[in-house]
Formats: sequence, structure tokens, C-alpha cells
Amino acid sequence: MRIRPVWLAYAAIALILAVPVAASLFAWSGLYDVAASRGHWWITDKFLRFGMENSVRARAPDVQPPPLDDHNLIRLGAGHFHSGCAYCHGAPGIAMSPISQHMLPAPPDLKDRVGAWTDQELFWLVKHGLKYAGMPAWPAQQRDDEVWTLVAFLRRLPSLDVAGYRNLALGGLRLDPPTGRELAMQESAADAAGACARCHGAEDRMPASTLVPRLHGQPAEALLAALGAYANGARYSGIMQPIATALTPEARKALADYYAGLCPSIAPASGEAEPVHIERGHRLIMEGDTDTQIPACSGCHGANALPIYPRLAGQSASYIANQLRLWQRGARGHTETDAIMSAIAARLSEDQINEVAAYYAMQPVEAAAASQPVKKAGAP
Amino acid sequence: MMPALARLRPLAVPILLGGCSGAQSVLSPMGPDAQRILQLGALMVIGAMAILTIVCIATWIAMRGPGAARARLAGDGAIITGGIAFPVVTLTALLAYGLWVMRANIAPAAPPSRLRVEVSGELWWWRIAYRDGLGNRIAGANEIRIPVGREVAFILTSPDVIHSFWVPALGGKLDMIPGRTNTLRLKADAPGIYRGQCAEYCGGAHARMALEVVAMPEAEFGAWLSRSRDSAPEPADDMARRGRTLFLAAGCGACHAIRGTSIGAIGPDLTDIGARRSIAAASLANSPEHLAAFIADSQHFKPGNRMPPFRIFKPDELSAIAAYLTGLK
Repeated sequence: MRIRPVWLAYAAIALILAVPVAASLFAWSGLYDVAASRGHWWITDKFLRFGMENSVRARAPDVQPPPLDDHNLIRLGAGHFHSGCAYCHGAPGIAMSPISQHMLPAPPDLKDRVGAWTDQELFWLVKHGLKYAGMPAWPAQQRDDEVWTLVAFLRRLPSLDVAGYRNLALGGLRLDPPTGRELAMQESAADAAGACARCHGAEDRMPASTLVPRLHGQPAEALLAALGAYANGARYSGIMQPIATALTPEARKALADYYAGLCPSIAPASGEAEPVHIERGHRLIMEGDTDTQIPACSGCHGANALPIYPRLAGQSASYIANQLRLWQRGARGHTETDAIMSAIAARLSEDQINEVAAYYAMQPVEAAAASQPVKKAGAP
Repeated sequence: MMPALARLRPLAVPILLGGCSGAQSVLSPMGPDAQRILQLGALMVIGAMAILTIVCIATWIAMRGPGAARARLAGDGAIITGGIAFPVVTLTALLAYGLWVMRANIAPAAPPSRLRVEVSGELWWWRIAYRDGLGNRIAGANEIRIPVGREVAFILTSPDVIHSFWVPALGGKLDMIPGRTNTLRLKADAPGIYRGQCAEYCGGAHARMALEVVAMPEAEFGAWLSRSRDSAPEPADDMARRGRTLFLAAGCGACHAIRGTSIGAIGPDLTDIGARRSIAAASLANSPEHLAAFIADSQHFKPGNRMPPFRIFKPDELSAIAAYLTGLK
């Protein structure tokens, strides 16, 4: 009997229909065991890992990383790793949580793994996370600059001992060990995991990284607005958003008041920039530039400005420049103040950004920010 | 198809007639320059209608006329007369007449008039500065005051793109071209408010780039000008004082000058904003409500303009700033 082509076509169609039907039946039957306790078959595990590794290699971006041996990147990355990653992945001196160890797959100890990936692949992994593995994506997809700080830390991780890790992640912060009563009664016994001071400093200590802003003496209203914006996602940051979200409104208010009340006694940064650049930055800050429609920075960031605006004197140059670049890329946020600054930052050249940042970094901190805000002046 | 058009017909009449009178019309000239342009324009329209009538008659003759007339139309004589001689004579005469009528505009500038008004077209508003001949420079924006019966030189420039300055009731239009300075001399014959419009497409909010020329009797104008050299008045009450504090603390003064208070030179000068009839380059009536709404979200009224939205203000703060600005007159 001759096989007619039309039969072949029917058979192909039947097969194509049968595959999803069979798959649906399989899923419907409940035969497949989704239990994390059972693990994968050897072949399934190999297949998934093979697919994952190839996917990461294919998708890692072809970009030049920032200098990953920069201490400021490593320090900030360490601070975030401690509160965001160490719970699952462990860290020197911190055991992996038994709970996370019963995920499938169990989160690996990263010091053994990071060597297998290039910088760009690590960046992609941290930014996008992994499907089916419980590895979350970076909460603020706009903030590639934050992701790189973590990559910088991961490169350092394999060579860290316990003391080295604590020094990086906690910034030398020493808290008295909690008493038995405190441990028993407090809701959270995390040892400074959420402490702002780890990255931002407090009392007499200044921020641990130049990428982190100095909060001492900033107007409370500006600090409170920033925490609120992080908490509701209006300001983008994978590092600050989880922290701010975990704070109650009362806690945010208390923190804002605390930092606003600190009187910073820091020596202004010594100038690395050339005097001519500093002078240009100074002129732009005081006078603006009418030709390119840049208003004077001092109009909003001087001592008498609204308390919703931060004070910039004595702020780190890297931080100021990074924020201005974030506005230019539309990556800082969409708050009321972002709407103002993004319009202005868009008109700044890269040189102007660096000059303005360098000048502000060298200024002594004005004590005025801590004094009573002018906002309610004229009101009864 | 006809019903749709028929429905639109009632709309057409007011739209067409609206152009015939009012503050922004070439058909109601209020100055010698506009008068001359209307005279020349009227002659050209009448002449063109006469020529069109002749052409129509000739066409009719060519198709339906008696044989002798058709033969004459087809002859060399008709072509030479109607196709060469007539246009040469007519256009030459028109050119001569046009040059003669407009000679005042073409002639080299008379001794510089005492009052010069510098107008710079910007995206999308008008930066104004009065030069009173005594070395004073008085800044303004979007509303130009001139004395009646005196020729005023408008010095036209642009820092960004090509704009065109046109106040139809007073005279012709003249482009404002980056890198060039054009001078337009206008005179208003009667007091009044004459609206002008940017007449060269200059970007998104081009249609919202209008201005008003307020022609005032000479004595009134002189008094206004000498008053304008002073600093802006002090806020009159607590609310306005609070408005000024907010204006300065929020950084408004980094872009907007108020004489004696702030020196920003990026946006419009606000020294006498309370006295202006409109805001946002004659696109919104001047009222505290409009001022407050424009401050909070100017992009809504003029998409793409340079002023960021100031949503940081609470309603009472906006009211205070609006009260302060309204008091600046």
C-alpha cells in the first residue's frame, strides 16, 4: 500500500496537537513532584544548569565595567551584600541560613563560584536574577551603577576573612552585643544589619564610600522625603528601597530628625581638581549660565533654600556627579524634586558636572541646614 | 459628503470674519506701516481680480466666442501683448508703486529714535528690554508698552531658532534670526492693545508664543517708564511676604529676575508681572489661579518649555506665591 502525502500531513498535525495535550494531561495528573525536598534528577539538574550558564553567557552585556578595584564601590557593595545577600549566600563569619539551604537549588557559597564568571556575567546575574532558582532581580533596574558596586564586592569576596568582611560590610561599626533580654524581647536582633551608619556614618563618622551621601545636617524634610520616595518606589535604588520599605513612617521621621540634628565637623575634601575647574564650578553654582539656560545651583541649594532641597556644601563629589548623571539618564526617580532637577541636569555638560561636584565637595558644611527651616517664615 | 460640509458652513463665517477686526488683524491697521501694507495689499487684490476677470473672459471667447475674435486671440499680436508686454508693464508698475508706498520702510534708518525696544524671541516667549536713550535698560517680557504717535525701533534677535515678530495691526512681520539683528520701526496711531504672534514655526509651543503691544498716550508712557526703573514694590501683606520668601527659597529667582529681589536671567523677567494682562506669552489670562497652575505644571500649558514643574508646593504655598506675583505692579 502506498503512503499518500496527505496522510503524512495528518500525522504531523496530530503529533503537533498531541504534544501539548499530553503535557497538559501530565501537569493535570499531578504526577510531577514539585517538592524542593526531593531535588532534581541528575539529568534535569545538568540540563537546567547547562541552559542557565549558556543563557547568562549569551546575554551578559558587552560593556566596560567601572574600575572594580575602587574601594568606594567595594565598600558600598559590601554594605548591601550584608543586608541583601548574606542571608542566603552566607559570608565570611556568617553561616548560610538553614532555611535558604533548603531551597532548590540551594544558594551557593559565592566565594567558590564568582571566579567562573566574567565581570559582565556577574553584572547580568546580579541585575536580572535567575528564573526557577529563587535568585531575585535587582529591585531598581535603572540603577546599573549600583549593580556594579556589588560586582566589585564579589570580586573581593574570595580573598576576605571574617575580620576583613566585617570591616567592609559594617564599616568598623561596633555595637554592644545585645543582652539576653534584648535578644528575647526585640522583634529584630539583627546586628546592625539595618543600621544606616554602616554606609552613611553617624555621629562623628562620615560615610564609608564616596558614592554614599553625607546625611549629617541635611534638612529633616529632605531626608524624610528621600526615605518616603525610596519606600514607595518613586526614587530608584536597589539598595535603599528595601531598607526604606522596612521602616515605619515613624521610624523614617525619627531617622530624618536624628541625621538633621547631627552637626558635621568634617574637613572639606582636599581638591584633586585643577583650580581653573574649581573656579568654573564656583561660577556656575553662584551665577548659572544664561546661554545654556542653567540656573545658579545656589538658588536652590544655598543656606536659605527650602528644606525639601538638600544642602550640597561638603557633599562627596562622586556622589553629586553620580546623581546628576542619573538624572540625565532618567534613572534617579520621578519625585517632585526629580522633576525639577532632571530638567536642569539635562542641560549640564560632563565637564560642568565634574566642576560643580568638585567645588561643592571642597566647601565647609554650612551649619545652617540644621537651623530652623525658612519655609514657614511669614506664616503665623 | 455635502451634509458634512454644510454642517461646517456656519463655523466658517465667524472664523473668516474674526480675521477682519480686533486686536490682531491686518484689516484694521492702527499704524502707518500697517496702513501702507493694507493699501498695497488692497491694490494687489483689486488688480489680481481685474486680471482674473480678463483671463476668464478671454478663455470664454477662446472656446465659445465669434470666429473673428477667436482668430485674433490666437494670433501673435495677442500673445505678445497679453503674454509679454502686459505682465512686464504691470509688474514694473507694481514694483515702482510698491517701492514708493513702502519707501519709509526701505529708507535707511532715520536718526535713531529715542526709544528702542529690544525683543528677543525665545522658546516660547519674548524677552524685552527698553532702552530709553538715557542709558537705562529696563527688562520686561511678553508685553510691550509703547507711546502713541512716536516711532519705536524694535531691535529683533533670537538666541535659539528663527522666530518672527508680527503685530499685524501695527505693521509687517520681520524674522528674528539667530546671529543677526533686524530692526523694525513701528508707530501706533491710537491707544489700544495690539496682539502679536510668532509668525515663524519655532517648535512645539509655537502657537502659544504671542505678545501684546500696549500703546499708551505719551505722558502716561513716560510716567510708566520712569516708574519702571525702580525696584519692584514690597509685598503688601503677610501672604505676599510669605510668597516672596517661598519664591526665593524655592529657587525661582535663579531663573526669573524681579528688580531689587532676584537676578535670574533665564526665564521671563517678573518685575511687573502683576501689571501684565496675560501670562505665559499671552496664552493665559493673568490671574492668581493661572499663575499657581502654571507654576505647579507649566508643561501642561506649554509642553516642552524650559520651566520644570514645581509640584513641591502645597496649594496654600502656590496661592502665596501667586499673591506675591500678582502684587508686582
